[in-house]
Amino acid sequence: MELLVVLGLPVALALIPLVIKEIRKIAVYHTAGYFVLMIFSLVLAGRLTGRSISYRDFFYADALSGFFVLLISLVSFIASLYSVNYIGEDVRDNIISNRKARLYYLLFDMFVFTMFFSTVVDNLGIIWVSIEMTTLTSAFLVGFYNKKESVEAAWKYIIICSVGIALALFGTILFYYTASLNAGVHSLNWTEISAVSAKLNPNVLKIAFLFILVGFGTKAGLAPMHTWLPDAHSQAVTPVSALLSGVLLKTALYAILRYMIIVNKCIGPEFTGNLLVFLGLISLVVAAVFIIVQKDIKRLLAYSSIEHIGIIAVGIGFGTWLGYYGALLHMFNHAVTKSLMFFGAGNIIKKYRSHNIRQITGVLQSMPLTGFMLLIGVFALSGSPPFSIFLSEIMVLIAGFTGKSFAACFIFLACIAVIFAGLIFHFSGLLFGKKPAAMQVFVEPMSNKILFIFLGIIMVYFGLAIPEYFNNILKASINILQGM
Amino acid sequence: MNLLVIIIFVLTLMLVLSKRTVALINGFMLQSFCLFVLALTRAVWAKDSELYVVAALILLLKVGLIPYFLRWMVKKIKIDDNLGLSINPMLSLVIAVLLSFFSYLFAERIMGLQNKPDVAAFSVSLSVILIGIFIMVFRMKAVAQVIGLLVIENGSFLTAVALCGSIPFFVEIAIFFDIFVFAIILGIFIFRINKLFTHIDIDKLKTLRG
Repeated sequence: MELLVVLGLPVALALIPLVIKEIRKIAVYHTAGYFVLMIFSLVLAGRLTGRSISYRDFFYADALSGFFVLLISLVSFIASLYSVNYIGEDVRDNIISNRKARLYYLLFDMFVFTMFFSTVVDNLGIIWVSIEMTTLTSAFLVGFYNKKESVEAAWKYIIICSVGIALALFGTILFYYTASLNAGVHSLNWTEISAVSAKLNPNVLKIAFLFILVGFGTKAGLAPMHTWLPDAHSQAVTPVSALLSGVLLKTALYAILRYMIIVNKCIGPEFTGNLLVFLGLISLVVAAVFIIVQKDIKRLLAYSSIEHIGIIAVGIGFGTWLGYYGALLHMFNHAVTKSLMFFGAGNIIKKYRSHNIRQITGVLQSMPLTGFMLLIGVFALSGSPPFSIFLSEIMVLIAGFTGKSFAACFIFLACIAVIFAGLIFHFSGLLFGKKPAAMQVFVEPMSNKILFIFLGIIMVYFGLAIPEYFNNILKASINILQGM
Repeated sequence: MNLLVIIIFVLTLMLVLSKRTVALINGFMLQSFCLFVLALTRAVWAKDSELYVVAALILLLKVGLIPYFLRWMVKKIKIDDNLGLSINPMLSLVIAVLLSFFSYLFAERIMGLQNKPDVAAFSVSLSVILIGIFIMVFRMKAVAQVIGLLVIENGSFLTAVALCGSIPFFVEIAIFFDIFVFAIILGIFIFRINKLFTHIDIDKLKTLRG
């Protein structure tokens, strides 16, 4: 029943742009709707810590699903709040027509719906389908402005992610093969397969997991399958960039986690752990190299997403309780911080009409609030105390050191240091200095002020203390991850 | 069963050899038709009503609607018929044969399959997937990439039907729905690319780098 609310609300909101023509009204209804959904998800995630919900063998949600639902609803709320002004201005400046803006909201809701859907179904095959549907719905949002670059990005996005997802389908079929042959389970329901995981064929399971990891890993943005990510993130409408980076990548990770739980129960955590640490470290190295040489501000942030997905993968790969805790907390922190950065970058691009970091100067002068938030945001993003990302990164590191993975920790630290330097270098050039003489000082609209303050508070507060309520959600999710 | 698997394998090799877009679409259609016959014989043999529906869906979507839609699109945007091969047909064939040998080794050594028909079915389905990827990478027209993906999906279906009998019914329906939506959305994007760039050569899409 609760799940019907989570899935029903985006569908209900999707009907609004079909009925109402005025963009301002649609935007306000959406923001209100997603705010309600966020509060609801917060309550739901808390209730799921103690028990799981299943409905007709089709829907299934436990603490882990609850955590992801909370994450998705949070980022959808902030993205819809940011859209109020962003899309409003696009319509006012005649960049897009009213009709197209309504289409934007329709696609936005469908995209959010498919993400919710993939986290609350039991059947691994349906998870596969809904993850593919997230690609298809969001492709239009990537190619939204219909320029050469954006259509090219959308094309690459669909093709690369679909190849990945096709490999994941092969892995899913292998899972079904061993489940039906060795354990006699003729279904793809996660609950049923994980109950008999000890009986599965370890060899087939290993191969299947490889396909799953490469397949969904493509969607999660793990290097070396990440090539679609910088294009798609930089060309998408800015609120959607936040959704892509903040939660879409994690939804794909969610699918990997579900399979990982089954494989770990059968053959222990070393196999999956080593693979995840390996891919995570490659992602960190790739991100470090490309961040240094980057010129485009949104691509810079996209490569930073690859870095953070790498950190999350490494954290999960270390496989200890603390590693899981750090990884899950990092998913949350990254979603909040990266959304803030994308929104700041979106404001800058609107004002300066340029993506090029070297052509933008004096943001602190021309847009005081955006500039200030970007300044603390870039320190938070690169992992400085007292912000939340520092806390989760240090947890992942401690997990690595206590697990005696010294080489991995060394590479991890080296990459973080390089990325820190790169980010600070790029953003200091952009924030400080003199603004162009002809440029007026930008007065932030109300919705942006609320948004920045909201995100800023979360970012600082979670760096100092983790609320007990949230802590319980994380602990219960870790129990699921450890197969308890 | 065995005969059909071999026919599918030969058809897949023919896909690698084809130089023209229409030939590629026809090859895909024939391959899907074999998949339909395979699913149908399975259905009759196992008296499985769900498999009948799956077979009917293969016939409707993969033999009927999708090839028809692709042909209509090729005609509509009047692209030249050349696929833009970056590796010539003979070398491609050699690579395809090597890929299938690799799949055979994979099936026998790593998967540890015992009886011969299973090994044949599995190695053919894996090589269909690999050859699909090959087509996507080394053929430069956007339409070829779409077909490559559909071939990969055919390979997955072949695995499901040959190895497991079938996968749960509503999952299959969902996957079909997904493939259909996928083909249509890619079609829309091919139109957009053609309109904006006045060609559909993927190797010339190079604005986004680094």
